[in-house]
Amino acid sequence: MEVIQQLIGRLHPVVVHLPIGFIITALLLQWIDRKENQLEVVIAKIFLWGFIAATIACISGYLLYIGEGYSFDTVKFHLWVGVATALFSVLMYFRIKETSQVEFLKRIPKILFSFLLLFLISITGHLGGSITHGSDYLLDPLPLSIKTALGIDKSYKMPLLEEATWEETHLYNDVIQPVLNNKCLSCHNPKKSKGDLQLHNAEGLIKGGENGDVIIPKDILNSPIYARLILPLDHEDHMPPKEKTQLSKEEIAVIKAWIETGSSFDKTIGELELQKPLFAAFFPKVNTTNYPDVTVDAIPADTIIAIRKQGFHIEPISETSNLIRVSCINKPTFSDVDIDLLKSAKQQIVYLDLGNTEVSDAIFEHLTKFPHLATLNLSHTVITGKNIEKLASLEHLRSLNLTHTQFKEEYLPAITSFKQLKNLFLFNTQVKQPKSQSVEFHNDLNIDYGNYQLPQIATDTITY
Amino acid sequence: MNSLDRLIKEQINREIQAKTRRHFIKECVAGMGGLALGSMFMGCNPFLGNSKNGKIALTERDINPLASMPPPFPAKVKSVIYLHMAGAPSQLEMFDYKPTLHKLDGQATPQSLLEGKKFAFIRGTPKLLGPQAEFKQYGESGNWVSNFLPHFSKVVDEVAFLKAVNTDQFNHGPAQLFMHTGGPRLGRPSIGSWVTYGLGSENQNLPGFVVLTSGGKTPDAGKSVWGSGFLPSVYQGVQCRSKGDPVLYIEDPKGISRNLKKSTIDAINKINKAEFNEYADPEILARINQYEMAYRMQTAVPEVMNINDEPEYIREMYGVEPGKESFANNCLLARKLVEDGVRFVQLFDWGWDSHGTGHETSIDLGLRNKCTEIDRPMSALLLDLKQRGLLEETLVVWGGEFGRTPMLENREGQKMAYLGRDHHGDAFTMWMAGGGIKKGASWGLTDEIGFSALEGQVSVHDVHATILHLLGFDHEQFTYEFQGRPFRLTDVEGQVIHEILS
Repeated sequence: MEVIQQLIGRLHPVVVHLPIGFIITALLLQWIDRKENQLEVVIAKIFLWGFIAATIACISGYLLYIGEGYSFDTVKFHLWVGVATALFSVLMYFRIKETSQVEFLKRIPKILFSFLLLFLISITGHLGGSITHGSDYLLDPLPLSIKTALGIDKSYKMPLLEEATWEETHLYNDVIQPVLNNKCLSCHNPKKSKGDLQLHNAEGLIKGGENGDVIIPKDILNSPIYARLILPLDHEDHMPPKEKTQLSKEEIAVIKAWIETGSSFDKTIGELELQKPLFAAFFPKVNTTNYPDVTVDAIPADTIIAIRKQGFHIEPISETSNLIRVSCINKPTFSDVDIDLLKSAKQQIVYLDLGNTEVSDAIFEHLTKFPHLATLNLSHTVITGKNIEKLASLEHLRSLNLTHTQFKEEYLPAITSFKQLKNLFLFNTQVKQPKSQSVEFHNDLNIDYGNYQLPQIATDTITY
Repeated sequence: MNSLDRLIKEQINREIQAKTRRHFIKECVAGMGGLALGSMFMGCNPFLGNSKNGKIALTERDINPLASMPPPFPAKVKSVIYLHMAGAPSQLEMFDYKPTLHKLDGQATPQSLLEGKKFAFIRGTPKLLGPQAEFKQYGESGNWVSNFLPHFSKVVDEVAFLKAVNTDQFNHGPAQLFMHTGGPRLGRPSIGSWVTYGLGSENQNLPGFVVLTSGGKTPDAGKSVWGSGFLPSVYQGVQCRSKGDPVLYIEDPKGISRNLKKSTIDAINKINKAEFNEYADPEILARINQYEMAYRMQTAVPEVMNINDEPEYIREMYGVEPGKESFANNCLLARKLVEDGVRFVQLFDWGWDSHGTGHETSIDLGLRNKCTEIDRPMSALLLDLKQRGLLEETLVVWGGEFGRTPMLENREGQKMAYLGRDHHGDAFTMWMAGGGIKKGASWGLTDEIGFSALEGQVSVHDVHATILHLLGFDHEQFTYEFQGRPFRLTDVEGQVIHEILS
């Protein structure tokens, strides 16, 4: 008996298309027939069939809900709207049937029934689809930009650890469970428990699924929850299923470490004596680009084109960024006064290559108008460094290239006030590498004096 | 049939060849949909609105296919110098130190290792061959380098090693194609082509992708290793020579002055412009641009390719030999090209196939001489880029197409006069240096004899994914539509090797 019940239940996805087809057909015929009113007999019949089919769909749906691991909460709206659809189909039938005895129905306009049915059948279908495929199935293929605009972006976020508190963080509560929530819960929750397994809390994890325990403390290879993660993607038993979002390498490593240390539900990372590198991916991402973390307005595309027409190489640092790189690689005639040509992009320029141009020391004054400048190349120019202290106002300046210039040693101390400066290149200038550090620089500053040599050694000339 | 008819026929044939089953099916489907749609719209053409007075909105790329474009994501580097040792250098004599292999020298290789393995030349049961070089740890990183590379050992802290790169090809041609195009068969674009297609060229007087070869021969796989495959041919590598004219036929022909040349090009472009005004085909604009660029290149290329302008101490550091075709010259040229905004510089050095069939290919003598040839130049390249602030925005990649066996080669089962190693792709060494690379890192570990990877195995696709990542691409999103489907450099594989990224 149970088998037949289950079989009928599983026919639900097929059966449901019948009432949809009948009801939509009848509604369309009603529309076509709205003036002549000649097809009422036929339409009434179709609504009757719609009712019968909907009733069968309701029954099979109910059996499916009982037979599979769905909770009532998940299916209740779908179920009630489905029943309502069947009900209104039969009401419609009595409303338009020629020899109808139900008088009170005649007083309600037909059009009201029509729209209500259209609404009900659409909603039922959509809710049903959401149960089988997941509620985000329909809109998932939309581009991320549209999804964000619609406010349905559910892009995955890794649980985060804080630099100061990571050792006191609970491994299970704050790392493992969030990972499970993100990657496993859509199929293993109290409402939908595939394989009779629930992964929403500690009890579910301890209880296991239809194949028994999922965690054997300290025995990773016999713990299905881990073993299935590391099976080849194509393997039948691999979890999550191939088409779902997979766990990252780092997440798998943390789950492994958790089981190896005894799958404790209450210990902190510090208590388990786990090392920081294991969690590296869980810390907030630091800005590793050479560009500043600033928000600026986009400059109009025609401004970029206008600057490009002047012979500059100009482009955004990436397709989606408003920050701009400019280079004079194709414009060796650039001189101090030409800086005005870049005025319209002064907020956006973060990378400026003025190498091999005709700029002089007067350029420093002009450059202070580019507040977000992070990389500046002045190599192969005639600058000596006079007035270079003005650049101190550029608080994002990270890299300064002065190679192959007349830069003088006396202006070097001015550079100590450049707080953010990380790299200074002084190869082939008048500054010679000091024997001992005579000028005090802040610790982060790396000065490359260049002039590297590879002295001749005996093996250079030996042929074996 | 006259020659014009023949040309037209050839063109038609070419067009037919480019059509595939996918096109057929696609066009059938689109055609039927189109018929239905057409009748629904009743003849209104939604596309007419786009071309006002016959003028088409052109992108900069339509006019200049090498126009530079921003990367999808902020990039760590803007140029790449790829040093390829054609023939496959022995990792066991250069970077992958295996003391156990030394102890096992001369012993027969266990059967369990040989089962199911195919080698290019080894037959029967070969003997193990201990490292023929002496190794030491260098720098703060303590990474191992052999005494074959005394200069390189001083810059070892600048590079990140991949000790367990894996390839499934064990013959030079297919393996080189795999290493440079992401597939072992002909027809795919090389990395340099992908990169110039994606980013264009910053310097509008120089090609975006330059190839330099040394060692007497070009790679076994031929010019396809820098070919553009199915990408437009403008993105293929331009081979330059360090000896003679840098590019063939770059000089004006005898009796043609520079001015006459300029007027010729102006006249041709004038006709082309008239043609464009009539047909509005962007290809014509691209051609006009190509003529102009070729004219500019005639002066720019000889200038950048002239290493005699470099000061004496720089030439000494690289160990250049002016007038010759050498790896040292090419390294110095690579720096000059990158300094002048060339996007991708590809170096090939031939002569690394150390089978032990003669003195030159012996693992203890010939290989050591090859190492001496590259040791100083490649170390100088790193230092020179560094002192100019260029290493921050350049990626240097070093490697071969595969590695070599821990076993002594016994060609056709015979004992050979010199020591040699056979082709082996299971686990070999590559290194990268430059922007975004974790200095002094080493990722991947091979077993005690260096036969296979124990951990950190990376594939050729992973290497490609990492290179593209540093240039600001997501290798999975960077595609080109061809034969009815999008193609990627990394095919359907590849993961960025974060372990060597800073």
